[in-house]
Amino acid sequence: MKRSRFSSIPLQTRMVAASAVLAVLVVGVFLALVLAVSALREATTQEARSKDVTASALTLEKLVLDIETGLRGYVITADKRYLEPYWEARRQLPSSLESFEELASHEPRQRVRAEGLASEIRHYRSDYADLVLRFSNLEAGQLATEIEGKRQIDKIRLDFKNFLRAENLLAASRERSASAKSNHAIALGVSGLAASAAFIVLFGFYLARSIAQPVRETAEGASRLAGGDLSLRLEQGGPGEVGGLITAFNQMAESLESARRELEGQNEQLRESERLKSELVNTVSHELRTPLSGVLGFTRLLLTRDFDSETRRHYLGIVDAQARRLSELIEEFLDVRRIEEGRFERAEELVDMAPLLRDEAQLYSAQSRKHRLALDLPNAPLPVMGNADRLRQVIGNLLSNAIKYSPQGGIVELTAEVDEDAVRVRVRDQGIGIPAHQQPRIFTKFFRGDAAASGITGTGLGLAVSRDIVESHGGRIGFTSTEGEGTTFWVELPSANGVDGQLQGDGVQRS
Amino acid sequence: MRRPLVLVAALLGVALLAGSVTRGSPALSAPGVIRITSLDIQVMVDNRGAPSRSAGDVLLIRQLLFNTRITKHAIGHADLVCTYTSARSRQCNGTYVLPRGKIVVSGAIRFREFYELAVVGGTRLYDNVRGSLTVTLLTRKPRREILLFRLVV
Repeated sequence: MKRSRFSSIPLQTRMVAASAVLAVLVVGVFLALVLAVSALREATTQEARSKDVTASALTLEKLVLDIETGLRGYVITADKRYLEPYWEARRQLPSSLESFEELASHEPRQRVRAEGLASEIRHYRSDYADLVLRFSNLEAGQLATEIEGKRQIDKIRLDFKNFLRAENLLAASRERSASAKSNHAIALGVSGLAASAAFIVLFGFYLARSIAQPVRETAEGASRLAGGDLSLRLEQGGPGEVGGLITAFNQMAESLESARRELEGQNEQLRESERLKSELVNTVSHELRTPLSGVLGFTRLLLTRDFDSETRRHYLGIVDAQARRLSELIEEFLDVRRIEEGRFERAEELVDMAPLLRDEAQLYSAQSRKHRLALDLPNAPLPVMGNADRLRQVIGNLLSNAIKYSPQGGIVELTAEVDEDAVRVRVRDQGIGIPAHQQPRIFTKFFRGDAAASGITGTGLGLAVSRDIVESHGGRIGFTSTEGEGTTFWVELPSANGVDGQLQGDGVQRS
Repeated sequence: MRRPLVLVAALLGVALLAGSVTRGSPALSAPGVIRITSLDIQVMVDNRGAPSRSAGDVLLIRQLLFNTRITKHAIGHADLVCTYTSARSRQCNGTYVLPRGKIVVSGAIRFREFYELAVVGGTRLYDNVRGSLTVTLLTRKPRREILLFRLVV
């Protein structure tokens, strides 16, 4: 399955990215909250300042009224005790004016109003109140308070009223602003927290789906694997490392299954080997016992009884033949041993296969009366490089098998041909053939198929030894067989055409 | 903080006095307040009756006008003619000559420490102006007064 680019992103990268997103979200919310809280604090400060300005304005207005009241009381009654509030207000007035102007200076329009008011009060004090107090004629003072005092106080009070109305509007506006910013901050904080929580929950779901589930499935798969189900494979998927884990799991399962198959194969081979070994023991004991029995029997017979010389010679001939048979068997076993240990060395001599084939054909044609051996060789030499004795052993094995495995008799054909590249030899019989299911194992050591059951003698080593000999000569050996119709074995050896030297074969040297 | 305010007020005063508020305009177009001081330079009494003040006596006052926020020099002068109607009361008419025109006032004065006259008209910038003049004694010797013209149009 083709993996998308997203699914190939490592889990570590995803988690770092998700953490970064969460961090950015939290930092963003925090910054927004800080800004909102700062704005709220600023709005609250301005609201408090508005209250301070209002309080300062009211204080200032009271001071001005105290001055006017004290002045009026004095000019009406001529009693200086009425001037006490005047002097007290007069004393506090400069600092109050300064404070008032300072507090009101944060808002431009109110600052202008405050400066106008302060100027008006200063003029009231310097151009009116202080002067009236110095009047020698209190009636003039009364007139001044009735006319100018009232006029100026009315104007100042009106300006204070306007100033306070504006300040109240400003305070209300600031209060609304503070409230709105407070609500905004709360909403922002709540929504930020909700967004963060939602993101965390979503990320948790994502982790559960992307990591926990595949890991759980992998753990379950591991349990099933441990239980012996090596055919189990997990569905490929999951992000980065999880995908890698599943891939590694599947590879491990594949490897385990392969190893188990290999072990089973080796076990099968071991069993087969054990079986072949048992068969070998049976074969060897049988093959050795038969000639050995002949030797022992005829030897005892010769020792215990007297025979005429012709009979004794005949018996001694039998003993000799059986002893040779024993020797050949032992030689075969030793050949196998030598080949297996890599001690087999072929002689590098130029050999003409034609006389060798004639000799073998003549030798084996005498061994069975039921078979007719047909030899078909070209007139030209069949030169190969190798060991004449070993090549003779190969041809002998093939002819021996052809005779043994055609118990009904028939024609055994031995043909050969040569070209620039190879010398090819064929041995064809009309025997029982080789069953198809046994053909792959026909060159296996000690394998004899149904031969033992059919009473056909042999060790099961001939073909194995022959193949090793042919392959050690750089050649090939093979066969075609049809059960019930016969078998054709062929040997192909590299041709030695063009090689200078003496041909070995029937002992006659050729050039 | 006070300095710019004083400067603004001074400029406003100069503008009113110089008629620059309505540059190119023949008359005052908006209400305004003129705050100046006066210095008596001549006071004459024409005693026409009893030795003490009595009805029929005429008082002549000549003043120099100052706006000390702008300059220490006089910016104009004034002449008031008062006729006593009783031992304390007098009926006065006066003309205040300012740089951009004259303001004519009229009314009764009972106390010289504080009195109020009506602005009945004027010339040039103050043509057909109305309002009031409030006068408050500032110092006795020399006699200085604060003049406060509240003008309307």
